[in-house]
Amino acid sequence: MTIAEPVQNPSRYTGSPIRRTEDPRLLAGRGQYVDDVTVPKMIEAAVLRSPLAHARITGIDVSRARELPGVFDVLVGEELAAVAGPQPVIWTPITDQRIARTRALAVDRVRWVGQAVAAVAAVDRYVAEDALELIEVDYEPLPVVADLDAALAPDAPTLYDDWPDNVTGSQTYRAGEPEEAFDSADVVVSGSFTHGRAFGCPLEPRGCIVNWDAFENTLDLWLSTQSPNLARDLLSEVFGVPVHKIRVRTPNLGGGFGNKFDFYGEEVIAAVLSHRTGRPVKLIEDRSDSFVATSHSRDQRLDFEMALRRDGTIVGLRGVSYGVLGGAFGTVGSGPPWASVLTSMGPYKIPNLDLTVTPVLTNRAPYGSYRGWGAPKGNIVHERLIEFAARELGMDRTEIRRKNFVPPEEFPYFSGAAFTYDSGRYADCLDLALAKVQELGWPQQQERARAEGRSVGIGYSFHIEPSAYGPSRIMNLVGLAHSGFDEAVVRMDSVGKITIYSGQINMGQGTHTIYAQLAADTLGVPMDDIVVVTGDTDSCPYTGYGTGGSRAAPLGGAAILRASGRLRAKILRVAAELLEASADDLEIENGKISVKGAPGHSVSTRDVGDAAYRRLLDRLPENEMPTLEEVDVFDPPNMATSYGCTALLVEVDRGTGRVTLLDCVQAHDCGTVINPMLVDGQLAGGLAQALGGALLEELVYDEEAQLRTASFMDYLLPTALDIPPFHFVHQETPAPDIPGGIKGVGEAGTIAGVSLVASAIDDALSDLGVAVTRFPVTPPRLVELIRDAEQRKEGAQ
Amino acid sequence: MKPPAVGYARAGDVQEAVGLLAEHGTDSKVLAGGQSLVPLLSFRLARPSVLVDVNPIGDLAYIREDDGALVIGATTRQRDVELSPVVAEAVPMLPEALRHVGHVTNRNRGTVGGSVAHADSAAELPTVVTCLGGEIVVEGPRGRRTIAAEDYFTGTFTTATEYDELLTAVRFPRLPAGTGVAVEELARRHGDFAIVAAFAAVHLGPDGTVDLVRLGLSGVDSVPRRLHEAEAALLGTRPTAEAITAAAATAPNTIRPSSDVHAPAGYRREMAELLIRRAITTASERSEVTT
Repeated sequence: MTIAEPVQNPSRYTGSPIRRTEDPRLLAGRGQYVDDVTVPKMIEAAVLRSPLAHARITGIDVSRARELPGVFDVLVGEELAAVAGPQPVIWTPITDQRIARTRALAVDRVRWVGQAVAAVAAVDRYVAEDALELIEVDYEPLPVVADLDAALAPDAPTLYDDWPDNVTGSQTYRAGEPEEAFDSADVVVSGSFTHGRAFGCPLEPRGCIVNWDAFENTLDLWLSTQSPNLARDLLSEVFGVPVHKIRVRTPNLGGGFGNKFDFYGEEVIAAVLSHRTGRPVKLIEDRSDSFVATSHSRDQRLDFEMALRRDGTIVGLRGVSYGVLGGAFGTVGSGPPWASVLTSMGPYKIPNLDLTVTPVLTNRAPYGSYRGWGAPKGNIVHERLIEFAARELGMDRTEIRRKNFVPPEEFPYFSGAAFTYDSGRYADCLDLALAKVQELGWPQQQERARAEGRSVGIGYSFHIEPSAYGPSRIMNLVGLAHSGFDEAVVRMDSVGKITIYSGQINMGQGTHTIYAQLAADTLGVPMDDIVVVTGDTDSCPYTGYGTGGSRAAPLGGAAILRASGRLRAKILRVAAELLEASADDLEIENGKISVKGAPGHSVSTRDVGDAAYRRLLDRLPENEMPTLEEVDVFDPPNMATSYGCTALLVEVDRGTGRVTLLDCVQAHDCGTVINPMLVDGQLAGGLAQALGGALLEELVYDEEAQLRTASFMDYLLPTALDIPPFHFVHQETPAPDIPGGIKGVGEAGTIAGVSLVASAIDDALSDLGVAVTRFPVTPPRLVELIRDAEQRKEGAQ
Repeated sequence: MKPPAVGYARAGDVQEAVGLLAEHGTDSKVLAGGQSLVPLLSFRLARPSVLVDVNPIGDLAYIREDDGALVIGATTRQRDVELSPVVAEAVPMLPEALRHVGHVTNRNRGTVGGSVAHADSAAELPTVVTCLGGEIVVEGPRGRRTIAAEDYFTGTFTTATEYDELLTAVRFPRLPAGTGVAVEELARRHGDFAIVAAFAAVHLGPDGTVDLVRLGLSGVDSVPRRLHEAEAALLGTRPTAEAITAAAATAPNTIRPSSDVHAPAGYRREMAELLIRRAITTASERSEVTT
């Protein structure tokens, strides 16, 4: 990875590779995560989970568990349902979609392995787990719908008795005249692409502590979440407790990756247990729980085809995206498979579209948010198909991309399905990546390797990342029962120091650092004078959605920039009174306010703070309200679409099907770069997750819908040994609709990286004509592709 | 993932350990490096009533040579074996194989005896001791027994040890100077259990023909496999590509791989042949003709 030496005292913080202010504490092991938090009188809970994928519950006997010394309470589904409503679903983008709702504990039927069936609260987790073993549940097995084909089969058993089948609904986006375009096309290429189940797998699993105070009827939570405001609103929906009586605090998060955006049943279970026992209840998801209880994602099949003219111009795209949902809807419903459809045209101008999303229920765990959401699979569609087309037409892979890019002068560009891209210089970004590949000498390396009989390939992926989700009314229009704005409070106190309050969450991206950078530059104060507070609904403002959708930098940043701008103006007005000068003639630098051109004539922010809070007489202008605080709410007029071109060098062992990642380049444009070191970190982390998803990670369900990869022995996260070196190149095209020009960057790598691996493998095996369509590309699967291609080749000869 | 309550007893010496095992019977389990046992406890998959901790037994951690054999004490840490110059000289296949065992942190705790006694057929050490024709030394109330490795491993996670016997040492025959060794391991990631791992030791006589060959496979059967047929095919031949290919081709017939989430049986069978061919080739290239 190319990381510049951190700059400690730049004249301008924005754009500088500032070290993260959050890190010393975390690196010293002194971070405080939810499991480090203890509350007086706290007890601990554990959850009993279904061993079967589909069954009726005919009886639960908890008497032996209740008798175990140290057990406070045992909770079953009926008891929970008496006090808690169903789990909320906030995304319903499909018209007339059937919504499969569930409770935090199953009441009379289980629909996936790992579904919560009962819970125990005890003196500690050991006793709670001992008690789980004493609960007896009688299950009457039902026919299992293990995968997409089983769910769609004409005689498939249904998961819900009042549904005619397992299809939740369908939505089609059309633009132009797709039938005509396909009928008159010179070439049509197609593919059926499958992405296996995967999840974000944060190294800190989820957890909560809930204290339900029966006297005040208040709910006080510590919760490992990316969306404390959303959690508060949804808890209010579930329990009918008004929002002002619910407080959600979030300590350090050990990763979120979208998984901790969603709202889970465990929060509800812990709340009910707290209500019943009168004790604060801690419920930590352990690693075993997390494989079945944290949102799964990615699971999708995409049957798509692309129509082109002989010169490589794309004229049409059509297809169906099947979302392989679980046994009930998660918080975001079928949002990710839906978003795949909306991003399936990528950076290309495709005038004729016919895109359908069809989410289907199976007896797998619920589907939810994971970094990238639907976009990694939308990327598979356009990047795989455009390479298939290049092969078919004998064109260069990069030239066919260049030919179809939306050109810079056509922005804002309506994609044809919901999104309007704000800005982009796609061809420039492609050239940046190609130049870096040349500079690194990959083509020569490939040539040398091939001469030695080794199979080395170069892959490309061009991705778009719709970020800064999103204009609130548009979000509502496309089915989100939540908003998209962000609110920030910037306050200077009585001694002239700054505190920023934000509703965003810091889960490892370094938001506290970038917020301080932005405010310090706007206010003219040193970064050291700034404290950023997040993670407490009592002190921090509301944010729409949560920290997801690559919102923290563009939307949180914009609100902070605007609030800081107004606060700066007020600081100058107060200083003007103190300096007996006009505010227009003043400047602030390094916390000192002086008359331009007369630096000796100055006051400090401390003087201004004192004048606004304590000794106001003859110092605070008569018409100014005391205190120094500004609030801003930024609701973006449009999203900000980042993009990038990624290249990968791989070696394939044709004998074993093993793929070794040798080197990786990403040229990227996220508008204004606030902190290049942190942007690089986001890109690298995202790529690592995508490369893992492309080669290693899979939640494998068998024909009985049993999860076969439920530990780190079988669910294989990429380690440092599996990840190639990264080279990042930045291009900065400011976002036109976001103050500061900032675009999001959190999901770039995850979107680009999966199709990228396929492209590189195909190139390494170009003599065989292998076309990778199924992910992850495991060694046995790749060997099968190689054998099939060899046989085809022999057959042709 | 909290283990149930479990009794714990420290054994000061081998006799005490054996006594504890005899006293608690099949409900007891020996705790050595804990790299396999502790996760099994946390998953509640292993439920012993007593753990007999053999770590305090000081004189079970050693590496020494004895009558043409390298003898490694049961609680010797894998990392110590990997870095030992004595081991590198006497049985160079060991350090080569140990580099594939988990990660350094696992090998710092993990013991040679623990890995062998755990008898995971996808692990490396059981196959090394099997293919080299090594022996396992166990002690129990009826005294000491030395069991040939091929008789020791009897099935998946099962061995010829009685419940009251403790594995105390593993004996590896010394390889003659000039022996080339190679380990070809196919795992999804470095440090994972092998999908298939192939082990080869080849020694060439003065005329350039193979006068000693030891071949083994992990991950292809319920027990670690020594490839006698392939060894016989190579012995006395020059290790040409044809000879190696022919020898490797005998491997698939002698194994019974099973399918799991990482690879179907057919793939394992195919890889067994490919990897043993690669391992023999590399070992042959590394062997030096001794005169």
